[in-house]
Amino acid sequence: MLSRKTVIVIVALIMISPLFGVILADAVGYHEPLDVAAEKLGLKDITDKLNWTPFLDYSVPGLPATVGYIISGFIGVAAVLGLGYLIKAVLGRKS
Amino acid sequence: MHIPDGFLDLPVIIVTYAIAVAWLAYSFYKVGKGVGKDRLSMVPVLAAGIFVAQMLNWPIPGGTSLHFVGGALAGVLLGPYLGSIVIFIVLLVQCLIFHDGGITALGANVLNMGIVDVLVGYATYVLALKLLGPKRRARLVGAFAGGWLGITLAGIVCGLEIGYSSACPFGIAVSVPVMGAWHAALGVIEGFITAFVIDYLSTKADMIPQADLLSGVVRNAKP
Repeated sequence: MLSRKTVIVIVALIMISPLFGVILADAVGYHEPLDVAAEKLGLKDITDKLNWTPFLDYSVPGLPATVGYIISGFIGVAAVLGLGYLIKAVLGRKS
Repeated sequence: MHIPDGFLDLPVIIVTYAIAVAWLAYSFYKVGKGVGKDRLSMVPVLAAGIFVAQMLNWPIPGGTSLHFVGGALAGVLLGPYLGSIVIFIVLLVQCLIFHDGGITALGANVLNMGIVDVLVGYATYVLALKLLGPKRRARLVGAFAGGWLGITLAGIVCGLEIGYSSACPFGIAVSVPVMGAWHAALGVIEGFITAFVIDYLSTKADMIPQADLLSGVVRNAKP
């Protein structure tokens, strides 16, 4: 199980994540090397046309981007932990 | 480095999915057979930590930006098989719930971050241990070099994938230098974070990285 210290660190990182993922990213125009290469090659991102999730780009419909980012963090961590414990249980049983 | 939908053509999608599925199946098989099984309890925790760390984008004014990837860290801490499985968990959740990384590019993203980054990071770290011995300095050097080289080569492989998918006849001549050079520069930060975490866990938390044991250089659980 998660230790108390681990939970505190993960929650703290989620709470400060909008500072990096939303506020500063918007301020300087977050741009990864992949975006630079794709622009040079003329590649088109079709994520919006193919999208299936309401949580696109770590947002929650109807909520401000910063709040949505935090909630997305908790949703994502819950899903990762769920999948992680499932895999742990399956692999732990196989012997 | 998450490739979105629309960047890859069908042959690249098929090849990258085939490699990703084959390696993950082999990794599950190896762990099922007992390789690194004692580290299974760390899988959910490390995956959650890497997921959150990847949400912390580091915007660099006037240049390109980055976020921590964590493939080398997972490979060093848990070994190549569980390391790949950890990154796969993160990428699958990011793709399915947040559409961060395309479903058509999931194979490529697993190949870049969950295989190349993990294996290169792991192998570089093990090489440093073998050359320098099981010392704190070797762990620092190995983790830094592994984090840096892992992300740089992952960037180059990513450049190959999008370059081959491009309609541009000289696609890889454009994409590989861009991806390689930027990741070599930004990868220094990945190296520092990887070295810091490995050093902290091995000195403060008394946790010996799985790579130390698999390398054969270290034979007991004491750091």
